[in-house]
Amino acid sequence: MTYALISLSIPLFCALLLLLAGTYVSERALAITTITASLLSLIIAWLALQEVATANQSLLLNLGGWESGLAIRLRLSPLSGLLLLFTAFMHLLIGLYAGLSRQGAVRDFWPLSSFLHGSLAALWLSADLFNLYITLELLGLTAVAMVALAGKKAFRPAANYLILSLAASLFYLLGVVLLYGRYNSLDILILAGETQNDVITRLALLMMTAGLMLKAALWPLHLWLPSAHTNAPTAVSALLSGLVVKGPLFILWLLWSEVAPLALARQIGPVFGVAGMIALVAGGISAMRSPYIKTLVAYSTVAQLGYALMALGLLLTWQLPQMHIALWLFVIAHGLAKASLFLAAGEMQTTLGTKRVSGLRGATQTVPVAMFAFAVAGGSLIGLPPSGGFLAKWVLLEPLLSQPQNWPWAFGVLLGTLVSAAYIFRVVALSFDRARINPPDTRPDRLGHWMALLPALMVWGMALTGDWLIRLLAGGGV
Amino acid sequence: MSSLQMYMLLGALIFLLGLHGLLVLTDPIRRLIAVNLMGAGTFMIMVTLARRTDPADPVLHALVVTGLVVAISATAFALRLITANLITETPNLAENNAAQSDTTLSQQGSPPT
Amino acid sequence: MSLMIVDFVPDLILAFLVICMAWGAMHARSRHDAMAMFVAFGLVVALIWARLGAPDLALAEAAIGAGLTGVLLLQAARQIPAEPRTMKKTTVQFILPLVFIVLAIALFASQLFSDDALNISEQARIRPDVGLSAPSMSDRVHLAMPDSGVGHPVTAVLLNFRAWDTLLELLVLLLALSGLRQLYPSSQSAQKKSDGPLVRGPEPWPLLLAWSRFLAPLLIVMGGYLLWRGADAPGGAFQAGALLAAAAVVLRLAGLLPALRWSSLTVRLAINVGALLFMTVAALTLYFGAGWLHYPAAQAGILILGIEVFATLSIAITLTLLVIGEYEDLHT
Repeated sequence: MTYALISLSIPLFCALLLLLAGTYVSERALAITTITASLLSLIIAWLALQEVATANQSLLLNLGGWESGLAIRLRLSPLSGLLLLFTAFMHLLIGLYAGLSRQGAVRDFWPLSSFLHGSLAALWLSADLFNLYITLELLGLTAVAMVALAGKKAFRPAANYLILSLAASLFYLLGVVLLYGRYNSLDILILAGETQNDVITRLALLMMTAGLMLKAALWPLHLWLPSAHTNAPTAVSALLSGLVVKGPLFILWLLWSEVAPLALARQIGPVFGVAGMIALVAGGISAMRSPYIKTLVAYSTVAQLGYALMALGLLLTWQLPQMHIALWLFVIAHGLAKASLFLAAGEMQTTLGTKRVSGLRGATQTVPVAMFAFAVAGGSLIGLPPSGGFLAKWVLLEPLLSQPQNWPWAFGVLLGTLVSAAYIFRVVALSFDRARINPPDTRPDRLGHWMALLPALMVWGMALTGDWLIRLLAGGGV
Repeated sequence: MSSLQMYMLLGALIFLLGLHGLLVLTDPIRRLIAVNLMGAGTFMIMVTLARRTDPADPVLHALVVTGLVVAISATAFALRLITANLITETPNLAENNAAQSDTTLSQQGSPPT
Repeated sequence: MSLMIVDFVPDLILAFLVICMAWGAMHARSRHDAMAMFVAFGLVVALIWARLGAPDLALAEAAIGAGLTGVLLLQAARQIPAEPRTMKKTTVQFILPLVFIVLAIALFASQLFSDDALNISEQARIRPDVGLSAPSMSDRVHLAMPDSGVGHPVTAVLLNFRAWDTLLELLVLLLALSGLRQLYPSSQSAQKKSDGPLVRGPEPWPLLLAWSRFLAPLLIVMGGYLLWRGADAPGGAFQAGALLAAAAVVLRLAGLLPALRWSSLTVRLAINVGALLFMTVAALTLYFGAGWLHYPAAQAGILILGIEVFATLSIAITLTLLVIGEYEDLHT
């Protein structure tokens, strides 16, 4: 557990020290410090993961040494260890992009991204409902602050997101309070043993679910996401879509797979499953119709989160461990692929001087590397083998295809795949149109484009580590 | 009905009134007030639950203090953000003319070939 | 029976007041009226909490919810254009959610009264009992109080039992301030820099000038007192910080406080020191002590006081900047 706490505190100290340093240090120094902190945190997160993987069970810690039931409890499970590692990794990749690309990042990006890293780490490790509320608030405020980095055009979507996010947090808080009022505990592990299927519990869980679904942009509470992620700076959009929305998803999973009574979880599973399917199709169609590049990518996030919601729903309905594996494989694969998509989209936008999809005509000639990154990442989103996305989708589909009564779900997944393919191919096909090329506005930033390709290559490399990932997620479970 | 039950209902009512305002109102400042009302309702429910024991439940009180600080931070930021946004959207102020011309430039696509 | 009703009347009056103000705060005709009603709402809520036996919270709500939020709202009202009159929802869109609300309240009420799952009926008032087989969380707090290092349970919970929450909360304040700074990018050349009072407002009201010289030191002393007293009685870092912030806001509005520049190391240090010290204590206890935020029993009281003092400073200055920070304070 010590490793995990160190991995958590490094980015937080980094952020505080960067804020303290203020105007005394150059932007280059800020970037180097943050990237080094991400790297250190990554290495130590790896050690933490090793620790929990070898122990083969979750490590628990009562903060302050107080007894269970009084203290805030932290938990390092194989899944949280993996998520710690993933968070550090994403921050490293995106930090490198922000530092090396010409487009770069605003000065204040660096302390804010360190704060984001720390908040997410605090979230993955927490096993206390109120502590999770505070990490959710941290996450939400950091996200809004980072969206506001883009300047005046981002203020409206940022303000809208903030108001909705606050309301969602209050729904969650009220649910937590009702659970405390009923069971006198805030600790997830204690509540898991005590919850019963009565009205107050159902009300509390529903309220918490509503709040979390809005924060995770799960259909139908996703409407704030496209404009917020479109108007944010490129690196920030990558972090938002890749990581920030996954935090509330984690809490939602935690809530329903542990705290909720089994009968209730079984009931809500199909609801999640159907909502996931609708998200897939509705998000995909919006992506197909969107005239702007980044909005297309943002709607793709809404669609892909539908896969995660489906996996969660089916996990709750059938209590199959496979669905648990599928859910988290999706999260990781989607995070990497979406980062690449946003970075590539941002690079292409800057180089070609256009925000519209129609401006990507002939991009394979003008910005080949970035377009390649887009296509490769898109391939993982569609689920082409042997990408990480394919791995996740295969684990999801296998139980669906095995029994005829589950075929409607499989049909939904395949429909989602078709729609994803449609909007990815829309862009790729246009980019091959070399007859009427859209000439670039500026000299392409080669390094930036290669940095955008990096996460896409990672997600295809996931297949190489697939076996290890599956064993880790299967063995750990909770 | 005991007074505690009445305060519970009051808290729930304030929460729901705030939610109603959030859904129905369009002015961002009023929506922010509505969200704050939701917060006040939640805190009232918490304080009422704390009153079940005598002396009052310190855990819930501590949670309310934390919640209050979080609420003021978020409200302050949100209010400033809304103000900055509303100032931007008004065409009268000089700075907005500069800002608007910037955004128009960046939104133009590249000329057709 | 009649005694019970008489006891109930103040609660009913407060409830009625609160509902009227809540409604007015959202749906009053003019935005100014709505804001004023919201501030009044905050004060009545503070009254209710005092009545519900929560003096800590009444203090905090009066200072933060009514005081600081009021300044925030009035400032915003001064700067933004008037509300457009055209965007109003139709009657159906307005009434339909209200109907849902009434139904929801009715359902909640029936649930609350029927099986009393939340244990709030008169008969179910729980009394803390040492030696219970399954003590509730608040029982555990009271049992663990002697080892906590302070005398007041709420302070113990905030700064010892659930210190991690408080640490994260200090980070929330910092983040809100960081976010605020993004609204004033250094490239804004249209803004003027000045070291004096807020640029765009009219001359400070003469009474404000006179009173602020008198009120501000009082508020500072009260803040210090609350901080000191928080160890054994209602009070603590947050209430003290809020009062100090209120003092700073009053001084600033009267033009008696110069700009708190982000570029000054002292200001940045004051803002960060609370969270930084807290994190340092956590790291040191992890490395050299018994664990993350596990205070050694003998030094718990002193550690808590030290953390509280610096946290109060950070909270005060962060809240001040959040409420009245202008370009000259926040420019990079």
